[in-house]
Amino acid sequence: MTQQFDRRFGRRDFIKASAAAALAGSGPFLGLRHAHAADPIQFFCWSAGVDQVKSHVSAFEAKTGLKVAYNNAPWAQYRDTLVTKFVGKAPLDVLWVSDSWLPEWAEAGWLAPIDGYKELTQYNADVDDFSTKSMLWKGKQYGLTYYTDYMAFFYDAEKLQKAGIKTPPKTWDEVTQQSLQIKKAGLAEYPMMLSMARESWLIEFLSAMVFSHGGRFVEDSGAAVMQDRSKGAHAALNWIVDAVNKHKIVSPACVEIGELNGLKAFSSGNHAFALLGRYRVRTLNDPKQSQIAGRVKQGLMPAGPKGSNATVGWNRFYGLTTQAAANKEKAVNAVKLIEWFGGKAEGKYAFQKLMFMDVGSGFAVKPLFKDQEIIKAYQSYSDMAMYEKQQALAKKKDVVSPWFGEWDEANGTAWQAAIVGKSSVDDALKRSADTWNKLRKQA
Amino acid sequence: MTALERAGHRVFLAAASVVFLAYVLAPVAWLASSSVQQEAEITSRPPHWIPQRPTPENFAAIFEAKEKQVTYENRRQGDPATGGYIPSTARNLMPAMWNSLIVAVAVVVLNLLVSVPAAYAMAKIRFIGRSASIYFMLITRVIPDIALVVPFFLFIRKLGLLDHLGSLVITYLAITVPFSVFILVSYFESLPDELDKAARIDGCSRLQTLLLVYVPLAVPSLVAVILFTFLTSWNEFLLALMFTQTPASQTMPIVVASFASDFTISFSFINAAGVLAVVPPVVLAIAFERYIVSGLTAGAVKG
Repeated sequence: MTQQFDRRFGRRDFIKASAAAALAGSGPFLGLRHAHAADPIQFFCWSAGVDQVKSHVSAFEAKTGLKVAYNNAPWAQYRDTLVTKFVGKAPLDVLWVSDSWLPEWAEAGWLAPIDGYKELTQYNADVDDFSTKSMLWKGKQYGLTYYTDYMAFFYDAEKLQKAGIKTPPKTWDEVTQQSLQIKKAGLAEYPMMLSMARESWLIEFLSAMVFSHGGRFVEDSGAAVMQDRSKGAHAALNWIVDAVNKHKIVSPACVEIGELNGLKAFSSGNHAFALLGRYRVRTLNDPKQSQIAGRVKQGLMPAGPKGSNATVGWNRFYGLTTQAAANKEKAVNAVKLIEWFGGKAEGKYAFQKLMFMDVGSGFAVKPLFKDQEIIKAYQSYSDMAMYEKQQALAKKKDVVSPWFGEWDEANGTAWQAAIVGKSSVDDALKRSADTWNKLRKQA
Repeated sequence: MTALERAGHRVFLAAASVVFLAYVLAPVAWLASSSVQQEAEITSRPPHWIPQRPTPENFAAIFEAKEKQVTYENRRQGDPATGGYIPSTARNLMPAMWNSLIVAVAVVVLNLLVSVPAAYAMAKIRFIGRSASIYFMLITRVIPDIALVVPFFLFIRKLGLLDHLGSLVITYLAITVPFSVFILVSYFESLPDELDKAARIDGCSRLQTLLLVYVPLAVPSLVAVILFTFLTSWNEFLLALMFTQTPASQTMPIVVASFASDFTISFSFINAAGVLAVVPPVVLAIAFERYIVSGLTAGAVKG
């Protein structure tokens, strides 16, 4: 038998067969096209509003005759993906950028300023101030806004009515009192929904709490003030700690609840109040997606004892890469694409409007607040006047820096430790401030 | 033990089994149930284990027509009236599943071709540097994947394989071959050397000894390797995220992850994608069920 085998299948046959199998195994994908065959504008985004982006890209291609290679990656892994691509010198021309990453990317030389392109900066006059400021680093502007929104305070009007509450809370103290009333009425075990899980959203939640308590994490000079008892961060964290441990109006599981799970928990009718991104109101009032559809109203952000109705706003924008800026022809085409999306297309803020009408995402271009189609659409599920009023009180995050990522980890851990009772409020904020100062000194 | 005690013992075992099964199967049952629920129903309290208004819309969106040029006119809108909360990238799921299958099968085949002869040589042939080569292979797996991403990326870019399934096959082989060799070396070492000697005396070449004597005896261990390799390739996320960027090469985990980052997020839709994602591994596990346990423990205990 062995001889027979020898004749039929020797060592060389084995090697040949292995090579054939390798070719056969890899055959199905040898025919697939490479991504960089042509030389289109390389446009990279996270996977949001995909059809809206694609349709606007199609219109751009039809209008200009230019080709666009649109690709995307999930939001949660977007930063890591882009950093790898930058380091690996992958072709990238235009991309979506979060305000949180701007200092890191600008300092690394991956993003190019757009100040020299008047066709882009002309739109600043129409944009909310905090939004434009979010795109500045060391006095230079690095993009044009694509989407802007802020942390909003929502309440379930029906629950408040059932508890005999006539007006929504104006202060955080009233939130506590009304929550206790709702809890007593048996309408919700934990009336207030806060998402305090360690994820990219956490800094937005914390900033909203701190700003509405009249505080800041750091001063304009860059020095940490979060540890100062007379400043708002202390009062904000104290409110959360009391809400969880003393009043039991916020679930202790809040440290495990991310923004998305918070949205689903609120939409299932578990809570009376919630902090969520403003654009979530569309989902919350959609009967196909929410158990409390039609009952969700937006109120102004409650104010702390020494605070105001301020909230945190965020900005995502179109950035131009340095590799595109370095090539004159590429830069011209990339700037055209940025203007088409972040500025006006055919004389209108078409993409911002498209995104708002289709998915409810926010915008920073003020003229759209007067657009009758937008007003009509928004009024069907929320209150346009409240949207605009709160946006005017939005502030940009004060902790955006090249060391933001590292500090954000330490800060989130410190706040969580205080919330679950493993640390005092003073210790948590001191630890966070020390980390900030150390990283700032190292930078 | 009395008859009563024996009966009590059996009842206890049965009850414990039911509790254990419920614990293990409940998440899977919820995955399947919620995949045919409306998004509003999925958040009902108490949860509806049996859907009250079952809908096939999630699966319909997945199996709908292939990608076409998207224009203002044919774009999917986020309007609930059009079912727009289902992500527009739903149509990418089936191509991604196919990509995952191609990559996983290619990696399994190539992995076996490399690791079986390598493991046999390391287990049965005494050569200088034998032990060192085994440890060297294992050491390569001590390095976390995240540390390899940038070097791999540069390597793949140099090869011109970015956004190409070949990039995944190459890098997954680098990840899986060391473990496969390690598993197989342990198993081959547990088989008596006398078999090797007897085959050689009977005139078998090394290759024949491997293919005619050892491979048939190592089936449970090979099944473990196949399962490990297939599942690793099927589930891998980080490298696929870095090396692919269009639906032409994106695999299942990347497309599923993208569903959670849109402005409108449907848990029921993500669960429908999850149902499809578990089908191939489950089919594989059922097909090889009788070999799995013996394969995983193969070589763990030497007599």
